[in-house]
Amino acid sequence: MKKFCLKNNCRNDDYNLRLHRLFRSAILFYMALLNVSFVCFAQNVSVSGKVTDSKSVGIPGVTIAQKTGTVGTTSDAEGNYQLSVPGNAVLTFSAIGYVSQDVEVGNKSVIDITLTEDIKALEEVVVVGYGTVKKKDATGAVSALGSKDFNKGVVTSPEQLMQGRVAGVQISQSNGEPGGGITVRIRGTSSVMGGNNPLFVVDGVPLSGDNTSAGADQQGIGRQPAKNPLNFLNPDDIASMDILKDASATAIYGSRGANGVVLITTKKGKGKGVLDYGYSLGVSSITKKYDLLNAAEYVAAGGQDMGSNTDWQKELFRTALTHQHNLSYGGGDQNSNYRFSLGYMDQNGIIEKSNIKRYSIGFSGGKKFLNNKLSIGSNLNFSNNIDNGIPISETSGFEGDLMGNILKANPTRSIRNADGTFTQFANTEPNPIAMLEYSKDFTNSLRAVGNINAELEIVKGLKFKTVLGLDQSMSTRKQATSRDLNVRGVFNLGRAYVRDIETNNRLWENYFTYDKEFGSVTLNALAGYSYQSFEIASKNVTATNFQTSDLDLMINNLASANTGAKGSIIQNSSSVKDELQSYFGRVNVSIRDKYLFTGTLRVDGSSKFGGNNKYGYFPSGAFRWKVAEENFIPKDVFTDLSLRLGYGLTGNQAIPHNVYDSRDRYSDWSINDVGTTITGGGYNPVSFNNPDLKWESTSAVNIGLDFGILKGRLSGSLDLYQKNTRDLLFQVFAAQPAPTDFLYTNLNTNIQNRGIELSLNAAIIEKKSFTWETMFNIAYNSNIVKDLQGAYNTGGINGQGLTGAFAQSLAAGQPLFAYYLRKFEGFDEEGNSIYPNGDVQEFVGKGPLPKVTGGLTNNFRYGNFDMSLFFNGVFGNYIYSNTANAFFTKGSFLNGRNVTKDVVTNGEGALNTPEVSTRFLEKGDFVRLQNLSIGYRVPTSSNKLFSSIRLYITGQNLLTFTKYSGQDPEVNTNKSLNGIPSFGIDYTSYPRARTWTIGANISFN
Amino acid sequence: MKKTKTYHKHKLVAFALFMFAMAGCTDLVNDEQDSVVRPPVEGSSFAPGNPTEMLASAYKDLGAYNDQGNMWAMQENTTAECIPPTRSVDWGDNGVWRAYDTHNWTFTHPQLIATWNQLNRRAYKCNEIIASNPSARQAAQAKFLRAFNMYQVMDFFGKVPFREVTQGPKELPRVMTRSEAFDFIVKDLEEAIPDLVSLPPAPQNGEASKEAAYFLLARLYLNKAVYKSTAPEGPYNFEKADMDKVIGYVNSLKTSGYGLDPNYYNAFSANPGPEVIWASTEGVPSNLWNCTLHYNMNPSGWNGFATLSEFYDKFENSDIRKGIAPKKDGSTFSGVGYGFLIGQQYTEKGEPITDTRTQKLLAFTRDVPLTGAATDKGIRVIKYHPATAHKFVFMRYGQAAVMKAEALLRSGNAGEALKEVNALRAIRKASPLASLTNDIMFDETSRESYWEGIARTNEVRFSKFATGTGVVNKDPKRAVFPIPSAALVSNTNLTQNDGY
Repeated sequence: MKKFCLKNNCRNDDYNLRLHRLFRSAILFYMALLNVSFVCFAQNVSVSGKVTDSKSVGIPGVTIAQKTGTVGTTSDAEGNYQLSVPGNAVLTFSAIGYVSQDVEVGNKSVIDITLTEDIKALEEVVVVGYGTVKKKDATGAVSALGSKDFNKGVVTSPEQLMQGRVAGVQISQSNGEPGGGITVRIRGTSSVMGGNNPLFVVDGVPLSGDNTSAGADQQGIGRQPAKNPLNFLNPDDIASMDILKDASATAIYGSRGANGVVLITTKKGKGKGVLDYGYSLGVSSITKKYDLLNAAEYVAAGGQDMGSNTDWQKELFRTALTHQHNLSYGGGDQNSNYRFSLGYMDQNGIIEKSNIKRYSIGFSGGKKFLNNKLSIGSNLNFSNNIDNGIPISETSGFEGDLMGNILKANPTRSIRNADGTFTQFANTEPNPIAMLEYSKDFTNSLRAVGNINAELEIVKGLKFKTVLGLDQSMSTRKQATSRDLNVRGVFNLGRAYVRDIETNNRLWENYFTYDKEFGSVTLNALAGYSYQSFEIASKNVTATNFQTSDLDLMINNLASANTGAKGSIIQNSSSVKDELQSYFGRVNVSIRDKYLFTGTLRVDGSSKFGGNNKYGYFPSGAFRWKVAEENFIPKDVFTDLSLRLGYGLTGNQAIPHNVYDSRDRYSDWSINDVGTTITGGGYNPVSFNNPDLKWESTSAVNIGLDFGILKGRLSGSLDLYQKNTRDLLFQVFAAQPAPTDFLYTNLNTNIQNRGIELSLNAAIIEKKSFTWETMFNIAYNSNIVKDLQGAYNTGGINGQGLTGAFAQSLAAGQPLFAYYLRKFEGFDEEGNSIYPNGDVQEFVGKGPLPKVTGGLTNNFRYGNFDMSLFFNGVFGNYIYSNTANAFFTKGSFLNGRNVTKDVVTNGEGALNTPEVSTRFLEKGDFVRLQNLSIGYRVPTSSNKLFSSIRLYITGQNLLTFTKYSGQDPEVNTNKSLNGIPSFGIDYTSYPRARTWTIGANISFN
Repeated sequence: MKKTKTYHKHKLVAFALFMFAMAGCTDLVNDEQDSVVRPPVEGSSFAPGNPTEMLASAYKDLGAYNDQGNMWAMQENTTAECIPPTRSVDWGDNGVWRAYDTHNWTFTHPQLIATWNQLNRRAYKCNEIIASNPSARQAAQAKFLRAFNMYQVMDFFGKVPFREVTQGPKELPRVMTRSEAFDFIVKDLEEAIPDLVSLPPAPQNGEASKEAAYFLLARLYLNKAVYKSTAPEGPYNFEKADMDKVIGYVNSLKTSGYGLDPNYYNAFSANPGPEVIWASTEGVPSNLWNCTLHYNMNPSGWNGFATLSEFYDKFENSDIRKGIAPKKDGSTFSGVGYGFLIGQQYTEKGEPITDTRTQKLLAFTRDVPLTGAATDKGIRVIKYHPATAHKFVFMRYGQAAVMKAEALLRSGNAGEALKEVNALRAIRKASPLASLTNDIMFDETSRESYWEGIARTNEVRFSKFATGTGVVNKDPKRAVFPIPSAALVSNTNLTQNDGY
């Protein structure tokens, strides 16, 4: 959780000190460079050693200089150093955040030294957007995570690093697929159409949130999601993540701040040039298989006996290996830094064929010029992701997708016929192994995110910074299903899809910062301008009626499809550009270091809105009272005691491109499900003229308490908040007759989130040889929709006989995505469902949003061993199992499909119709041992080659306590209807794995 | 001195940077590349579009009739011709089909809002074409298509909303009563006729023609008593003047060369014949066989809708409309018969089909329950045959012939009416009738036009809608559907229909 105050980050307090040190190191550097020859002629002795802190951890970047001479060096990443000095020299060891120390060399050749921390200089800082602030001066609700707080093991995307670690930040992976979607909800769910993910900012470049690879919709399979757009960032390149939670902190990002902001800072080089290499091997296997009938049980229960014995789960699930290599080289001091990194990840999924590979390159560098008045820096992250997908979808119909067929395939069915061909007797019962064998889904994505920035100090305290940012990506997704697969619309035809997405986002920001002290008043001000453009272009091609079954030819030689009425077509293409132009300012005033005030304003202008409301104004104000600084507070009890109060208005503009002009374009073409006709292509209106569309706004108030007692060994924060979202951007039915079915409008509603968050950090044991620290967080959130006219259904349920079914509805007085179901009370004598309130859907008082989320971390260190144990938990939510609704019923069983064991005896009749009801609603509470990591630091002090070696073993998803009957309770299949998202529904989700990882991190001298 | 100068220099740098930093570089106006923004006309809030493109698109929209849901289901599943059984785990579909059959639909039924939206949206597209400076022929076609879409809104929902092209998104469309809508639609058609082309019979008749307008006017006048009735459920007062109009328009069709085809199923194929007046140009009505054929047949269907034995029994065995046995000659789809499919089903090579789910021989039964139906229950219906189907036919002469007979009957000319009916029956290979009553006329109308998407309108006109087989909620007010709840929320000018 700690980051030490680097040159750029500190504003006022130790300015002179730093300047002094900077000056000295600059001189040193200069001398070292010019006077090498002198040094060579002197009578020198060689001195080496290790600089450590009070916990015996090496300190990198310590300046070791001859007090009166010209010789100097800096310590490496592990605190080791080596230099030659005259024997009578006195060495000064100095580092920011530590008290400097002088040592006479004498006749010593090894000088190990422990530096004590300079309490005054040692400050945790948090990145708050356009700057940093000391944690203890932060007026808003912000949480900071450093790399030591991150989740370990096989981590595909950055969100997973912080899962469960921060109070009020709920992160859930949609399913177990490598690189699959992740939802991040900071302080509940406040928007509907506008997207609920926070704004991610990488090294100052806000990301657009758009998909950078294509989703899919395949004939006979259904709709498939895009891969997580944040997969591009190698988690090993991330130094810290700072989460801005309340509006007083996020208002500086104005229209994009309503769902919180996550600021990702990548690693910078420090110390002398250090080469680091890390390798890990992960081994994953399914945590829990579905409790299906085996062949004997199936026949005994009266199922259709096809004479064979196949465990389809065993055939399709595998033990999967993940390899990760990370190589980085970097160094730096107060004047310059550089870091290069290379990353490689090859992650296999636990279903055959599924795989994600990432090749990543990172660069960061910075240098100061003009007597340190000008600093220039750059960061660049470039990656190539290659995904091999499998035919699992969100919306498969009566025939089921791959996962559906693994579950429903008759266990007495053989995989192959006697002649070696797959058993494929009906298009309602595809052979899951044939589905995998006869399909290919390949996505290749390139993405580069980077910036170049320059900061100039004009006069003392006044700085100007300009940032040029870019975020560019290209992706192509190619899918083919062979005509050999017996699935409706595929058999004897074959299908192929090519879907390309290119994005091109540009950022240019200019801002001034001004720092000034007036006696006991400290002022820090910011004023700036930002321009960002977002271009996205897509192209979709689909083809059918292939002359070949060769999947590679189908994808890479599209002419293998016949042309004409049954051939290949361009479905459509698109290209749009949106712009955001903003003015922003912030003033921080600190009076006697006791009363801190922050005021911000951002004015955002967006091309997503029509003529009348292009600009939105987003102000905030916050106050922190450092009670601990008051005389009446006993200093021996409280190391920190502060009250925070904040209010802010933020917005949301995450709606599609230009929904306010009267526009026409040619609609998509499509080939019908049996491949006989092509329809579509009509010239149709895209949108209504709608100049009054305006920003969705969220007002939020936050009250917080920070405390530290027992000399800081127990510290924590308590926050209370309320958020109200108004002018909800929503797609409603247009008053017909109208050009389009739907119309974007600002709904007169109020979505309210209220909650409490508590985080506690305790250093329970702090011995030199043994330490134990505990971090605990828990958050409660309550969500309700107030003032909403009408009801909006969502949570589409799919499967045989479930066309048009849905399970959730948005309405006044209910939480978002509340379940809207038939009440089920068992079966009557004939085995038909009893719905005591009639065959009608109603609100059942249950919802998918968790009420309580929490995390508990315990870190231990004993000598060179360290261990970390992390649990997280989610409580108060319900999961609707579309999987059970579609597959685990008596009717399904009697149609020759496999079911879970409970179906045989549950009393359901053969001809019962399993409509959407509370029968398939289950509690989603769980507690999970999410992460266990044990590390060992190999002693290397006498080793010339290695400066450090750390070996570790990490287990992920080791134990889950839950009553949910599905594969895993952390699940969220996208079941949106009419563009209204859903939450908490499980449908043929990719199963989740348990992963053990062993690895080593090695630093070379 | 030097210090001051430096200070000024800093000030200058700061000022220059400030100007540089704060200068807005965009007016936030989109430069669209993948769509065309319609420039608004000076002094009007309407932005005209391209009438040729929009008219082409209005025709493409008619592809929606290839679907077995929405308009088709509202016309057929609600009547005695068709039953949409729930077959264990199949076709439950949240009860949308059962609600049609039992007449227990509510104003939240998802297909009602889907139908309301698409019909009204298409009517509005025609408004825009008419306001976008079209040619006379284009304008006439737009008026025909507007009339066609508004007629269906009127028929299904009673009230018809109307938005002027100058109204913005927040302005609410006015609402016509059923009677006002009827007059508006008739006027549109009458105005359109002079500029529409005249087309001889052809299965490719996609353009709205004079003859299509005659047909639609005949249907409108035949049902005028229903649309003009104060209460949608009746009583209906059929006037001779209106019936004469029906007869006149059908006679005009005959003059244009239309007549009855001895091969009844020809009208639903690409083969030339004298019947097809107006058909869709978009897609193939494949869902009309998908919705009824069994999974194990070729083509493999969704094993859904069936007809009832009561309806099946209304046909004489000789009646070609009752069906033609499958050829079973090995050619593609030759295992599927025409008309009603009952009893054992066969493959293209004549081998009996086995149901892979039940492992029993597949024989369609006479009986079929609405819920808990096994996979083999119910007689299946094929009008569009997978081997020969072409386009969805909106209007054909066979339907016109029964309209004329009914108009004659209702105008007191039962003798002429019987002659018309028997002439039709002769061509359909059914024995002549001895007399004609309303009930017999209704049966003949159903026999001629079953499963063509017009059954509900016919049942309502003959006051049989509330009493048909399967109807549980016998409230006669269900002769119109409710205004969908989402439509009521969107437009406060709308009020709910009586009885809902």
